[in-house]
Amino acid sequence: MLTAAGFGLHSLDLILKYALGIGEILTQSQFYISLLAWSFLLIYFFLWWKLKLKFLSITAAPLALLVFTGSLAISPATLPIPGPMQGLWFGLHIGSLFVSMALLAMAFGAGVTYIYLNNKIKTKTKLGNVSKEIPSLQSFDRVNHLAVIIGFPLYTVGVLSGFIWAAFTWKTIFTWDPKEIITVIIWFVFAWLFHRRISGAWRGKKPAQMIILIFILTLASFVGINFFTETHHSLRP
Amino acid sequence: MEQQIYLFGLNHKTADIEIREKFALSGFNPNNDGLMDKDGLVCEALVLSTCNRVEILCVSNGDFDEVRAKVLKEWAGYCRQDQELLRNHIYSFKDLDAVNHLFSVAASLDSMVLGEPQILGQLKDAYRKSVEEKTAGVIINRLLHKSFSAAKRIRTETAVSSSAVSISYAAVELAKKIFGELKDQRAMLIGAGEMAELAALHLLNSGLKNIMVANRTPERARELADRFNGQSMCMEKMLENLHKADIVISSTGSRTSILSAAQIKKVLKKRKHQPMFFIDIAVPRDIDPDANLLDNVYLYDIDDLKEVVEENLANRREEADRAREIVGQEVDKFSDWLGSLDLSPTIVDLLSRGELIARKELKKSIRSLGPEVDQATGQAMEQLAMSLVGKLYHEPIVFLKRRAREEGSSQKFIDLARRIFNLDDEQIPLDAHQSKKGKKQ
Repeated sequence: MLTAAGFGLHSLDLILKYALGIGEILTQSQFYISLLAWSFLLIYFFLWWKLKLKFLSITAAPLALLVFTGSLAISPATLPIPGPMQGLWFGLHIGSLFVSMALLAMAFGAGVTYIYLNNKIKTKTKLGNVSKEIPSLQSFDRVNHLAVIIGFPLYTVGVLSGFIWAAFTWKTIFTWDPKEIITVIIWFVFAWLFHRRISGAWRGKKPAQMIILIFILTLASFVGINFFTETHHSLRP
Repeated sequence: MEQQIYLFGLNHKTADIEIREKFALSGFNPNNDGLMDKDGLVCEALVLSTCNRVEILCVSNGDFDEVRAKVLKEWAGYCRQDQELLRNHIYSFKDLDAVNHLFSVAASLDSMVLGEPQILGQLKDAYRKSVEEKTAGVIINRLLHKSFSAAKRIRTETAVSSSAVSISYAAVELAKKIFGELKDQRAMLIGAGEMAELAALHLLNSGLKNIMVANRTPERARELADRFNGQSMCMEKMLENLHKADIVISSTGSRTSILSAAQIKKVLKKRKHQPMFFIDIAVPRDIDPDANLLDNVYLYDIDDLKEVVEENLANRREEADRAREIVGQEVDKFSDWLGSLDLSPTIVDLLSRGELIARKELKKSIRSLGPEVDQATGQAMEQLAMSLVGKLYHEPIVFLKRRAREEGSSQKFIDLARRIFNLDDEQIPLDAHQSKKGKKQ
């Protein structure tokens, strides 16, 4: 309930900010981070609706809170968004990557819980009161499935649109930006998982482990590169 | 003499099954079978008779020995058995001890399987019967309602009734942890023993729809499959159908294992690694224990399940201590109510409640008149309010006093008055009366 209310207010905040300064807002790093927090909740509600799985609020709510407070904490920096192409490609780039990141985040939470519960059932240890409240293994595997099936194509679209946008803006596709390198690595790992998953070769524990790895990599690239290095992905002031 | 609550009974601890059978009281009607006859010794009675316990709860003006003798006589008489035999096996409780015992029974703290849920339903049936036969009065009504709410409280606040304490329930609980809802899952019984049948029954009750039965003798397989509306096959076809099953319950009498880990691995590949839950209740075991090492395969044998049950039972026992504390609290509350059933505390409560309301309203009215109310007006208003309270409650009080004088026992009316004026500040759930009506229809 509280999460829903927070989500509503947050949406309002984003819409208002957008409406108030349509041109300016898109150049503020704060806006993007806030948008990311919003996507986490969006995907959480999507999974709740789709799989009737409320349990993931355990990942969604703290993560959204963390990212949102993070967005308030950083000093508002103005980003040099290269002019003419900011429309379609840029929107596609940000939108699809954020949604796939949010999917990854939820699958990360589901994966950690899956491994924990799977381990308990496998080793036949006593299911305590906490484990009793956890939904079934199958439901977490479904989250993983959705995250891979929807998340990978979106990730691909996001990466491709980024390259196309770069091609228009900087007249070159690949700039050897560290972010781009790590993104391509993630894409290959993700592609492998996607393939194993749809072929039915992997289910349960392995995809859960993989998605945890992929999420940690994306997070590292998002936090590490956008904030600590000097690239064109930098959100630093 | 004031009314007392007595409880006499025998249960699985004090009497074994033969004795309990001899002294069963199903069909016993306190009105017709002599317990509540014209001498008026017993004013209210309730009889609970289940396979694990037979108990008589009564409210009486008489003293303990008198009531006990009467109960023993009618009880043994009804069962055509020897009174002495009965005397050796019963326990008796008086007043708050009786209340405590009843609350513990309702909360299933006195049951053979601690926390089993049936007893509450049986007690409700017994109470309904006593209401129909008009043997329940003010005290038993209240006592039983309170025992139901105490049981409900214990169920929600402690884990005394949670988690499975039978092998087949433990298996179903695990299946739910793996698959979630079982309605899309399919089970296969390998071997059609009694244990397997029981487990299958529990699975069906938990929403599972589809069952296959493989057995050495095809007739038995068919018989069982027909009962579950499932599909039967001979043992040779088992392996080629195994990939369709999510839950496998194996209980053959085979001396060697019938499924190896390698076979299961192949099956798993065929079903695209969808999880499988194997329940091996055969001794010696049917399924290679190494299968549990495969991803997406969960294998539990009879010892594993027994361990789960043992742990759950230990957990229940721990919770029972907390439940007994709650019983104690509820007994205290009941004892307060019992004490208030006298005339004088009720009159005091009635008047003080009236005064409370009057003062509240007075304050509101004076505030609404604004700050310049002179003292005389204030006093006049206070006088008006207080005298209204006195006058309004005068008639009910006179009525209660007259009943007390004329009928000796005015409990019925005192109880009614307490409820009409809500002197005990009870929170009555909105649907409380609706559900009762529904049951009667």
